Amino acid sequence: MRKNNSAAENYGNRRRRSPSLKAILAILILIAAVTACSGCSVRRSGVIRVAGSTTVLPLAQEGANRFMDMGGGKNVLVQGGGSSVGISQLSAGIIDIANSSRELKPEEDNGRIVDNRIALDVIVLVVNRGVQVANLSSQQVKDIFTGAVTNWSQVEGQDAPVIAVVRDQASGTREMFDEIALDKEESASSAIECNSNGIVRETVGNTPNAIGYVSLGYVNATIKAIDYDGVAPEEQNAKDNTYPLSRYLHMFTSDTPRPVTREFIEFVLSPDFQNEVVTQEYIPVI
Amino acid sequence: MARERYIKLLLMACASLSFLAILLIFIFILRESMPALTKVGFGNLFTSTDWNPDKGSFGILAFLNGTILTTLGGLIIGAPLGVGTAIFLDQVAPKKMATVIRRGIELLAGIPSVVIGWFGLIILVPFIARITNSSGYGIAAASVVLAVMVLPTITALSVETLRSLPIELKEASLAMGATRWQSIRTVLLPAAREGILVAVILGMGRAIGETMAVQMVIGNSRQFTLSLFKPTATLTSRLVTDMGEAPPGVFRSSLFAMALVLLIFAMLLIFSVRMITRKRKA
Amino acid sequence: MKAGRADRIATIVFWSIGLVSMAILAFIILEIFGRGLVTAVSPSFFAGQPATNQAGGGVGPMIVSSLYLAALTMLISLPVSIGAAIYMAEYAREGKFNNFIRFCLDSLATLPSIVFGIFGLTLFVVTFKWSYCLLAGAFTLALLNLPILLRGAEESIKQVPQTYREASMSLGANRWITIKKVVLPSAMPGVITGTVLPIGRIMGEAAAVIYTTGLFIRAIPLSPFDPAAPLAGYIWYAQTEATVPDYRQIVNGGAAILLILVFLINFSARRFARFYAKRKQLEVKL
Repeated sequence: MRKNNSAAENYGNRRRRSPSLKAILAILILIAAVTACSGCSVRRSGVIRVAGSTTVLPLAQEGANRFMDMGGGKNVLVQGGGSSVGISQLSAGIIDIANSSRELKPEEDNGRIVDNRIALDVIVLVVNRGVQVANLSSQQVKDIFTGAVTNWSQVEGQDAPVIAVVRDQASGTREMFDEIALDKEESASSAIECNSNGIVRETVGNTPNAIGYVSLGYVNATIKAIDYDGVAPEEQNAKDNTYPLSRYLHMFTSDTPRPVTREFIEFVLSPDFQNEVVTQEYIPVI
Repeated sequence: MARERYIKLLLMACASLSFLAILLIFIFILRESMPALTKVGFGNLFTSTDWNPDKGSFGILAFLNGTILTTLGGLIIGAPLGVGTAIFLDQVAPKKMATVIRRGIELLAGIPSVVIGWFGLIILVPFIARITNSSGYGIAAASVVLAVMVLPTITALSVETLRSLPIELKEASLAMGATRWQSIRTVLLPAAREGILVAVILGMGRAIGETMAVQMVIGNSRQFTLSLFKPTATLTSRLVTDMGEAPPGVFRSSLFAMALVLLIFAMLLIFSVRMITRKRKA
Repeated sequence: MKAGRADRIATIVFWSIGLVSMAILAFIILEIFGRGLVTAVSPSFFAGQPATNQAGGGVGPMIVSSLYLAALTMLISLPVSIGAAIYMAEYAREGKFNNFIRFCLDSLATLPSIVFGIFGLTLFVVTFKWSYCLLAGAFTLALLNLPILLRGAEESIKQVPQTYREASMSLGANRWITIKKVVLPSAMPGVITGTVLPIGRIMGEAAAVIYTTGLFIRAIPLSPFDPAAPLAGYIWYAQTEATVPDYRQIVNGGAAILLILVFLINFSARRFARFYAKRKQLEVKL
C-alpha cells in the first residue's frame, strides 16, 4: 500500500522539508551574510593579538602566560613573523601589539604608533661545535658574511668551506647585524636564510662548518658562542658598551590602545616582570 | 515548473562558483602585483637574479630557476618510478599484492607535505651534507622530496589509464605469442601514452606548487645557482617565507607577481592536458 | 630466445621498481611512527597545552583547531560541491559552458596551495577585516577542496544506474524529486567516501592555513572568528621557530598524530559509508 503512494508521499515530504536544498540555501545565505558583515568588527574585547619579532617572542609569550594567569578572562595571543610583519600588521589594525627587535623606520611611522622599550638584547655570533675558531675580528666577521672569506682556513680555522646562516629580510636582528657588523652592506646571496632565531641555532648546530648569529637568549650547548673583537658576548660587556652588537627590544602599540592592551604593556614593564623574567635572558630596562 | 527552474538555477550557481573563484583569485593577485609589474618592470622582474628588497632589487629569476630545476629533478626521479610502479601494479604484480601496494600509494598521497619535508630535513639533508661536504640544503634535497610527493599522483593516474585500456588489447598481443614485456612495450605503452603524459604533467603541477616540504630543505638563499648542492629558493618557498614579513609596497607586490607566475603555470599545464586529451578523442 | 631474456629482465626491473616504491612508503611510515608514536600517545602531549619556552608542551589546542577547521570547511564546501555535482551530472549538457567549468575546476585543482593562502589573506583577513581566524581558513580551504569534492560527488552520482531515474520518473516524480529521493540517497555512500581525501588534505595543509587562521599557538578556538593554529601549520611553525628545547620531539609526535588522524578519518568514513549503504538497502526492502 505504502509503495503505491510513494510519489504522492514524497510530494508531501517535499512540502514539509527538503534538507539538501535548504542546506545549500543556508550556506549561500551564510556566505552572503558573512560577506555583508565583513565590515563590522569581530574582535572581542578581552583578546590581545601580538605578533612580530621572533627575538621578542619567548619574552612576549612568557609575559602573556603570566598575564593570563592573573585571571580576569584575558586572552593574549602571541605569534612570530618578524619585526616588519608585526609593524605592518599593527598599522593595518590586524593586531594590537607589534613586537620588534629594531626601531621604527621613518616610512613605517604613521604618527600613531607608540614605542615601548621592553628589554636590551645582545646578538651573539655562533658557530657549529666543529669549528675551531673562538674569536673573530670585526673585519673577519664582515668578510665572512659578505662572502669575501669562503674557507675557514682564511680566518685561522680548519680547511673547510664556510657556510653562512643569516636571518630573513624582515628580521630586526638581521637589520641590526647588517648595520653594525657589516657596515650596512648586504650579506652574501649564498647565505642560508632562516626565519627565526631558533632555526638559525638548529641549522648552525646541525650543519658542519656553519656560522650564524642569534639573540643571547637562544644560546645553548648545541652551538658555540664566539668572541667579537676579543670581547665575550656577555651582559656586562653590553651594558658598558664594550660589546657593540646590542639593541633594544620593543613593543609597539597604537597611540589609542584599548585598556586591556595598555594593561599588558604596563605589566611587561613592571619591576616584577622585568626583574624576574627579562633578566633571565636580557637586560632589564628599568 | 517554476520551482524546478529555480532549483536548476541554484545548482548552476554552485557549479559556476569554481569560475567565480578562479576569476576572483586572478583579479586579486593581478591587482596586488600591479605595482611590481609597473614599477619594477616586466623585464627586470623576470630577467634579474638580484633579489634584495631592502635595496630595491626585485629580480625573481633565481627563484624561477629554482622552481624549474627542482621540478625537473623531482620528475626525473619520480616519473619513471611512478610510471614503472603503475605498470608493475597493472601487469606484473600478483593481484593481492597490487591491491595492497595501491592502497599504500594512496596513503602516501595522504601524508602531509610538512611531514615529508621534516624527514627530508632531518634525514636527507644531513646525509647529502656528509657525502658532498656541503651544507646539504639545495636542489638535490628538494628534488628527492618532490619525487616522493609526485610518486602517488603519477602512479595513481597511470594505473587508471592502464586499467581503462580494453583487455582485448593485451590478450590479442599475448595470443599472438608476444612476451609480457613485448606486449607492454609495443601495445600497452603506445596505447596509454597520452594518459601517462597527462599523469606526468599533473605530477609536475604538484611539484611546482609544493611549498612547505621544499621550503624546509632548499636552504632559502637568494642566489641563482645551477649547482645541485647549493642553497637557493623556489617561487613557493620564497612566497611562504617572505609573505608574512613583507611590508606593503613593491616588496609585497612582487611576491604577488610570483603567485601570478604560479597561477599562469597552473593554467598552462591544464591547457596542455586539455590539448592532449582532445587529440586523443579526435 | 632474445625476447624471453628481455622479458625476464623487464620483469626483474618492474619488480624492483615496485619494491622501491613500497620501500619508500614503508620507510616513511616506519620513520614517522618510530620517532613519534611514543610521544603521540602520551596524554600530556595530545591533550596538553603547548609550551613556549620550556620542554614538555603538547598539541591539544592544535588538534581541536584542525578538527574544527575541517568541520567548518566541510560545512561550507560540501553543500556547494554537491549542488554543483548534481548540476554537472544531471542537468548540464556537454558543451561550451560545461567544458569551461571543467577547465576552471582543473585549474583550481592544480593551483598551488600557497596561492590560495595569500588569496585568503588578501580577501578574508585584510579586505574583509576578519583578521586571522578559523573562518578565513575554512573559506580558503573550501575553495582549495572544491574540485576534489565535486569530482568525488559527481562520480558517485553518475554511478547511480539510469534505471533508478527512469523508474522514479515513470512514477510521476519530476526531475528534482527524482534526484532528491532516488539519486542522492543511492549516491550518498560514494559521496561520503569521497570526502575522505579532502578532509585528509585539510588536516595536512599548512601553506594555505598559516596566513589565514594564523598561528596563535595558545588559543583553543571557540567561535569561527577566533584565530587558531591547526596541527600541520603548528608542525611547520615548531620547526621553523624552534623556540622550545624539545621541538624535535614535538614535531615528530605531531607528525604521528597527524597521520593517525588521517587514518582514522579514512577508516571511519568508509565504515560510515558501508553502514549507510546497508541501512538504505534495508529500507528499500521494507
